[in-house]
Amino acid sequence: MSRTSKERVLLYVFVGLFALMSLISPNKFLSPGNLQSMATQLPELGLISLGMMVVILTGGIDLSITYTAALSGIVGALVLSAGYTGGAGEAAAGLLIMKALLAILVTAGLCGSLNGFLVSYVGVSPILVTLGTMTLFEGISLWLTKGGAVSGFPEEFQWIGNGYVGFVPVPILIFAVFAVITAILLERTPWGRSVYMFGCNPVATYFSGINTKKTVMWVYLYAALLAAAAAIIMISRYNSAKVDYGSSYLLQSVAIVVLGGTDIAGGYGKVVGTVIAVGIIQVLSSGLNLIGINRFIVDVTMGALLIGVLLLNYFIGKGSLGKGVKKDAQKANTAL
Amino acid sequence: MRQLSKSKELWIFIILIVLSALISARSSVFLRPDNLIDLLKNNAVLGIMALGMTLIIITGGIDVSVGAVVAVLTVIIGKFMVTLGGNLFLVFLVAVGSGVLLGLFNGALIAFANIPPIVVTLGSMSIINGLMLYYTNGAWISNIPSWFIDFGQITLFKFTDTAGNTVGVPIQIFIFLAMVLLTWALLKYTLVGRAVYAIGGNLVSARRVGINIARTLIFVYAYMGFLAGVAAVTHTSIMRQVDPNAFLGFELQVIAAVVLGGASLTGGTGSIIGTVFGVLFMAVLNNGLILTHIPTFWQKIIVGLIIILAVSFDVLQRKRMEKSLPKIDVEN
Amino acid sequence: MKRILTVLVSALLMVSLLAGCGSGGSGGQSQQQGNEQGAGQADGKYRIVVMPKLVGIPYFNASEEGAKRAGHDLGVEVIYTGPTKADAAEQVKMIEDLINQGVDAIAVAPNDPAALTPVLKKAKEKGILVVDWDTPADQSVVDLSIHQIDDKEFGEHIWDLLVESMGTDEAEYAIITGGLSAANLNTWINYGLEYAKTRYPNLKLVTDKIPSDEKQQVAYQRALDLIKAYPNLKGIIGISTPAPIGAAQAVQEKGLQDKISVVGTALPNDSKAYLMDGSLDVATLWDPAKLGYLTVALIKDMLDGKKPTDGQEVPNVGKITVKPDGKTVIMGPPTDFTKDNVDQFNF
Repeated sequence: MSRTSKERVLLYVFVGLFALMSLISPNKFLSPGNLQSMATQLPELGLISLGMMVVILTGGIDLSITYTAALSGIVGALVLSAGYTGGAGEAAAGLLIMKALLAILVTAGLCGSLNGFLVSYVGVSPILVTLGTMTLFEGISLWLTKGGAVSGFPEEFQWIGNGYVGFVPVPILIFAVFAVITAILLERTPWGRSVYMFGCNPVATYFSGINTKKTVMWVYLYAALLAAAAAIIMISRYNSAKVDYGSSYLLQSVAIVVLGGTDIAGGYGKVVGTVIAVGIIQVLSSGLNLIGINRFIVDVTMGALLIGVLLLNYFIGKGSLGKGVKKDAQKANTAL
Repeated sequence: MRQLSKSKELWIFIILIVLSALISARSSVFLRPDNLIDLLKNNAVLGIMALGMTLIIITGGIDVSVGAVVAVLTVIIGKFMVTLGGNLFLVFLVAVGSGVLLGLFNGALIAFANIPPIVVTLGSMSIINGLMLYYTNGAWISNIPSWFIDFGQITLFKFTDTAGNTVGVPIQIFIFLAMVLLTWALLKYTLVGRAVYAIGGNLVSARRVGINIARTLIFVYAYMGFLAGVAAVTHTSIMRQVDPNAFLGFELQVIAAVVLGGASLTGGTGSIIGTVFGVLFMAVLNNGLILTHIPTFWQKIIVGLIIILAVSFDVLQRKRMEKSLPKIDVEN
Repeated sequence: MKRILTVLVSALLMVSLLAGCGSGGSGGQSQQQGNEQGAGQADGKYRIVVMPKLVGIPYFNASEEGAKRAGHDLGVEVIYTGPTKADAAEQVKMIEDLINQGVDAIAVAPNDPAALTPVLKKAKEKGILVVDWDTPADQSVVDLSIHQIDDKEFGEHIWDLLVESMGTDEAEYAIITGGLSAANLNTWINYGLEYAKTRYPNLKLVTDKIPSDEKQQVAYQRALDLIKAYPNLKGIIGISTPAPIGAAQAVQEKGLQDKISVVGTALPNDSKAYLMDGSLDVATLWDPAKLGYLTVALIKDMLDGKKPTDGQEVPNVGKITVKPDGKTVIMGPPTDFTKDNVDQFNF
C-alpha cells in the first residue's frame, strides 16, 4: 500500500525530473548558484501552498490568501519605511524590524480571523467568503498604496529574503521550519486530527463533540499566518511591497496542493506531498528556464504534468489494487 | 429541499433589488433604458458562460478552464473569418464545434480517469492558454469582416426614450436570453437535467437508480464548451477585434456569479434563475460604481464589503427561516 | 522494485517528451540550447537578455522583433524572454535563472523597480551588464537606462493632444488607465496632471483614474459608464494600449464622435478603424520595435567598451539624446497617429 502511495509516486517524479534536468544541462542546473536560487525562490509559493492546503483539508478554499499576503506585507512595509530614517543604529533597526514583523502578523491575523469568523460562526461557504475578502483585501491594499510600491527598508531587513546561513538561503530555512510545524500540528495534535475529521465529515465531527467552529476558525488563522510568513520573505526579497506581488500564486497554489495528493474535497492530504509538489514545480520551472524554453510552453508543460501525475496515480491504483482504490475514487468523485 | 432552494434565490433577488434601489437613489442614469441595455449587453458573455458553469457546479464539479477555452475560441473564429471568410452559420458552427471538442476532452478525463474536475481543468487551462499564446504570441486580430461586424450591431424593438434617443435591444441580449431558456428547459424537462441534479445530490443513489454517470458528466462539460462557443461569437460581435489575453482571470468571475446565485460547490443545489440573478448582481455592482461617483481607490473595498454583507445576510436570513421550520436538514 | 522502475521511467519519458516538444517548437530556442553546451561565449558572441514586463502582448511582440533584428544585424545573441503575467515576483525568478545560465548583459523592463533591485545587484556582482529599458529600474544599480521617451514630456504631450482635440481647455475629462499599480502609466498620468494644473487650470478631471485591467472590453464598459455618469464629459484619455481603443468604441457606439474626444497611447494597427471614423482623435506612441533595436544596439556598444553620446546617430533608430549623467538615454519624441498618417505604420 505505502509503496504506491500518492506521495511516493510524486517523489519518483521529483527525482526523475531532477535527474533529467541535471542530465540536460549538468554544469548549469547542478551549479551551486542555481541550487541556491531555487531554494530561495521556492519558499514563497511553498508557504502559500501550505496555507492553502490546510484550508483545503477542511473542504474549503481560500481565494484571499495571496491578497492576505499582499496586504500584510504592505502594512509591514509601511511600518518599516515610516520608521526608517537612514543610518540609524543596528539596535534601532532591529527594533524597527521587530515592530514590522509584528504588524505583518497582526494584519494577517485580522484577515484570517475575518475569514474564519465568517466561515465558521456565520456559516457562509468558504468560496463566497474569500471571494469577498479577496476583493476587500485587494481594495485596502490599493487604497493604502494608491497602486505604488512601498520601499525604503533598513539594510538588515534584506537578510531575511536574501541572506545565507552558511551556504543555505534563509528563506528555505524558514520554509523548512514552517513545513515541520505544519506537519506536527496536523499529524500530532488534536487540532490536526479534528481538521482531517472535519474534512471527511463535518456533521459527524460536530456530533462527536468537537468544537468544529473553533477548529475551522484556527484553520483560516493558520493559513493567514503562513501567508504572513510568505509576505515577510517576499517584501524582504523584493525590498518593497506592492498590491500585486505574488498575485499569480493563487491558482498555482491550488494546483500544487492537488498535485501533492490532497483531496480537493477535504479529509486527505499530507504536508510532505505538498512540499514535494512545490519542489517539482520549482525544478520544472527553473530547469526549463535554464534550457531556454519558451515561457508559454513551460505553462503547457506544467498543465500536462498536473494531469499526467494524476493519470499516473489512477493507472497505478487501478493496476495494483483494483477494487479497493476504485471505491476511494468514487468517493472523491462524489465530493467534487 | 425545493423550498429551501427557492428561498435562496429569493434572497439574492431581494439583495439585487436593494442594491439597485440604492444605486438609483444616487444616480438617475441607472434605471434609464439605455443604461440597462448596455448593462445586459456587456454582461451577456459572462451570463452565457455562467449558465454552463451552473450545470457543472450542480454536478459537484468545477471548470476553471473556461477563460482559456473562450479565449482560444475567439482566436479560432477570428482566424477563420480572416483567412477563410465563411458566413455567420459557419462561424457559429466552428466556435461551437471546437468548444464541444475541448469540453469533451475535459469531460472524458473527469468521467473515465476519475481525476477531480479542478485538477483536470487547472491542467487544461494551462495547456490551452499556453498553446494559444505560443501560436498567436498575443497578437490581436483586428480585420474582422464587415458582415460579422454588421451582425453584432443588429438591434431589435427600436423605441425612443424620454431623452429623444432611439434605443434598440442588441442581438447579444437575445442570444443570452435564448441560452437562458435553452439551459433552463434542459435542466427542467429533460432526463439529462434530472441526472445532473441527481449526481450532485447523491452520487451513489444516482448510480443505483441507473443513471449513466460518465455520460452525464461528459455531456455537462461538452455543454459548457458549446456555451463557450456561443459566448466567443457573442464577445467577438461586441468587441470587433480579438485579443487573446481578453479573458485572463475570467473564470473566477464566472464562478463568482454562479455561487453568488446560490449554487453550492458541494453540488446538488443551484438553478438557472439563481445564476441569472448572480450575474445581474455582479453586473449592477460594477455598473453602479462609476454611476454613483465612487472614488477609484474605494471601489474594490466597497465591492468586497458588499459581497461579504450580501452572502452573510443571505445565510443569516435562511438560518432564521430554517429555525422557524420544525424539520432540520443535516445534509450538508 | 519493478514497479518503482516503471514509474520512474514513465515519468522520465513523459517529461522528456514534453521538453522535446517545447524546444522543437521554437526555432530560436534550439540555437540557444546549442550555445549553452559550448560553455558560454566560446563563439565570441555576446549573450544579451532582453526581458519585457510580460510576453504575449502586441506591444512587447513588436519590441521583440526589433531586438531580434538588432541581434541579427549586429551579430549578438538576443534572448528575449519574460514572464507570462506582469508579476515582479516572476521576473525576479527568471532573472535569477538567467544569471545562472551565464549571460553578458540583462536588460529588463521592470514590473516594479524596487522589487528588482536586489536581484539586479546580484547580477552586477557576477559581472553582468545591467540595463533597464521601457520602464526605469532603480537608477543606482543600472549601467544604462534606455527610455523610449522623456516621461515628463510624454505626459504633457498627451494632455496637449487632449486639449487640441477638444478644441478648448475649459472642459470635463476622465482618465482610463491600464492598471492602478502600473508604475510607468502612473508616472505619465502624474506628470500630465501636474502640468494640467498650471497650464490648463480650467480642465476638470471628473474622477480619479479608472482601471481597465489592460482589457479592451473593460475599458469599453467603463467608458460607457463614464459617459452616462458625467453628461458634460468632453474628453477621455486612455493610458495603456487597449484603453483608448475601448473608450473609442464606446464613443463610436453612442454616436458621440463630435462631442467627446478620445486620445491616448495605442498601437496604430489596432486603432486604425477608430481613427478613421473619428471616434479616436489621436493616438500617440513610439515604435516599440525601434526601442527593442536601440536597447540591443547600445548594449552591444557598452560591451565593446563604447559609451553612448548625446546626439549619436544609431543606425535604424535615429538620433538619441543622452542625459548629463551619461547613462540615461532617450530615444526621441513620440509619434502621433491620426487618420491621415496611420496607414504608414505597421505595428
